[in-house]
Amino acid sequence: MIFAPSALSPEEEGLREEVRGFLAGILPADFRPGLGLGGRHDPEFTRALAERGWVGMSIPVEYGGAGASTVRRFVVVEELLAAGAPIAAHWIAERQTAPALLRFGTEEQRRWFLPRIAAGECWFSLGMSEPDAGSDLASVRTTATRVEGGWRVTGTKVWTTNAHLNHFAVVLCRTTPEAEAGDRHAGLSQLIVDLGADGVRVSPIPLIDGEEHVNEVVLDGVFVPDERVLGEVGKGWAQVTAELAHERSGPDRYLSVLGLYRAFLETHGEDVDDTRAAAIGRIGAQMWTIRQLSLAVARSLEQGEAPAVEAALVKDVGTTFEQQVVETLRDAAGGEIDPEGPTMFERLLAECVLNAPTWTLRGGTTEVLRGIAAKALTR
Amino acid sequence: MTALPDVTAVREAVADVLADRCTPAVLEDAERDGWAPGVWDPLHAGGFTTVGVPEDAGGAGGSVAEACAILEEVGAAAAPVPLAETGLLAGRLLAHADLALPDGPLTTGAGPVALRHGALVGRLERVAWARRARRIVLLADDPGSGLVVAVVDPAGASITPGRNLAGEPRDAVGLDGVVPETLAPAPPDAREALARRGALARAALIAGAAHRVRDLTVAYTGERVQFGRPVSRFPAVADHLVRLAEQAEMAAMAARAAAVGAGEHGEPAALDAAAASAVASEAAGLVAAAAHQATGAMGVTREFALGVLTRRLWSWRDEWGGERAWATRLGRTLAAGGPDALWPTLSRGVGTSG
Repeated sequence: MIFAPSALSPEEEGLREEVRGFLAGILPADFRPGLGLGGRHDPEFTRALAERGWVGMSIPVEYGGAGASTVRRFVVVEELLAAGAPIAAHWIAERQTAPALLRFGTEEQRRWFLPRIAAGECWFSLGMSEPDAGSDLASVRTTATRVEGGWRVTGTKVWTTNAHLNHFAVVLCRTTPEAEAGDRHAGLSQLIVDLGADGVRVSPIPLIDGEEHVNEVVLDGVFVPDERVLGEVGKGWAQVTAELAHERSGPDRYLSVLGLYRAFLETHGEDVDDTRAAAIGRIGAQMWTIRQLSLAVARSLEQGEAPAVEAALVKDVGTTFEQQVVETLRDAAGGEIDPEGPTMFERLLAECVLNAPTWTLRGGTTEVLRGIAAKALTR
Repeated sequence: MTALPDVTAVREAVADVLADRCTPAVLEDAERDGWAPGVWDPLHAGGFTTVGVPEDAGGAGGSVAEACAILEEVGAAAAPVPLAETGLLAGRLLAHADLALPDGPLTTGAGPVALRHGALVGRLERVAWARRARRIVLLADDPGSGLVVAVVDPAGASITPGRNLAGEPRDAVGLDGVVPETLAPAPPDAREALARRGALARAALIAGAAHRVRDLTVAYTGERVQFGRPVSRFPAVADHLVRLAEQAEMAAMAARAAAVGAGEHGEPAALDAAAASAVASEAAGLVAAAAHQATGAMGVTREFALGVLTRRLWSWRDEWGGERAWATRLGRTLAAGGPDALWPTLSRGVGTSG
């Protein structure tokens, strides 16, 4: 384990103040915070953020980014999530696709996509899960067949967040049949699919909270030109695994509930008995600590290390904590949950209770993460 | 990045001293006799017992972070000696009152003690190794000058032996009528500072013990074969190992961040000490439970090394406050700060919180 406490430099702290000032100016006073990744899809906000250089921060300057360190990005992302800002338009493109393009993309792809991502004008979805491939991602059935000048892709992707709004999806698919590839992790590739292309059909999958931002994406013989293959044909599995490690341990794993926590103080902060004080304090202590763990991983990434196991641990600790926070605050507040209640706390609590189950599912379930961590521990 | 002090050197030096010294036989003797000279003497000779006490006050110098790094090793080894009490707790109390540091083991406790006409009134409960301490250093309310640091020879106090779950001495100290050997005015915040250092010291000990529990449990479940394979291969058992490892890292990060936050010469901040204690004390119980479940009946035998560690975890988590008391304090502070200050307070960097 490489976890070591890390301080922020005065310059990094200064950046935090700058982002705070920006958010205070742009978000309305009665703003209802999004729950972390539940932040709304707001192209205007994304563009305003991009103008400040805070989208695609870690993209090098030559590709239109800010060339900022992992920790500078960490600071900005923390502030955006803490405010529950509407980040959904650029979130996947900037967190996941841009690093993947930098690592595996062609020079041409970088020159085309990265400046657009950094400008907040090119939005991505993830095309990983399928009806029969969830935690067992290697069993994807979406198939790409060789045709002249590219590939024809056929299959179905699910849980594709904001596919109805975004421009592209990076689709994991089989380019060599399993029988031929020999190994089920071989013969997979990542293709960048234009979600506006012929043969793409996007339909919503309504969730228990009534929201319709995740989708089923049916790909029916969609043509993807060769220049839209991400990385090497047949190396999709290794690429996806590397991507997920990057995804795992960021501030989105412990800040989904900050808006709720803050609203609890707004509503009940004046009337604090010992039980409520203990609840507030315990949440604060845990968040303070998990944040240090997450920062330690960011620092380690910045120094060129690959703390995959640490990242898995932080995600597990963080998402488990987030779910506990909802229950702790519900218990501390008492009463029934009214989704149309008069206070922000009640409305957010209702949203949290309905959303919390997804926190330990997305980006690798608790069980999968613990499996990864256990392997490393017992090696 | 802002460089934080590297405590690896002192950590490794202490680990070297402790290696092979805290054997099962030594620990059994210490539980019976209340003392482990074979552990204390080399640590004392090496100057490790007063790390965290400034050199000009007679200590070995060094920061709170270095003192806590040593305590992690003490916790990992289950070393039955009052290292936290001698240096970070009593030693610093003396230093802050400009009093000389007596040679040998020291201890202290928190409790309502007053000074009346030159003699003490009151009683301290569950003082670590009081019977073996060269001197007891305590805080007393003096109606004349406020708070004072008093140095007491345990021979002159009324000591009732007690112990914690790990068999470490936790004695009651009756002080009525005892005339302190030395008295000096204490800084007004000395009680609060002592409580924070006490809580942080226990968090560091817990972190060290938790890491060792993880290693022992991983090793045992990797060797123990049932149904034809090591039990650690069973997902249900592996789940215990992962949660154990997570909580060990939580405790360690909380303790280290709070310790580092004290800076080169300073004291741990209120938020940091409270958070470290709340997190580490809760982790202690979770770590012990997961380890015992994973190691089965073997884990609860006196023969197996786990018990000396889990009995300490179950003791240390409640000493100097425990998770509920510190979480409640922290919660009251955060609530009083109001919603707008919540995130700025929690996200303040290591070493910059007040």
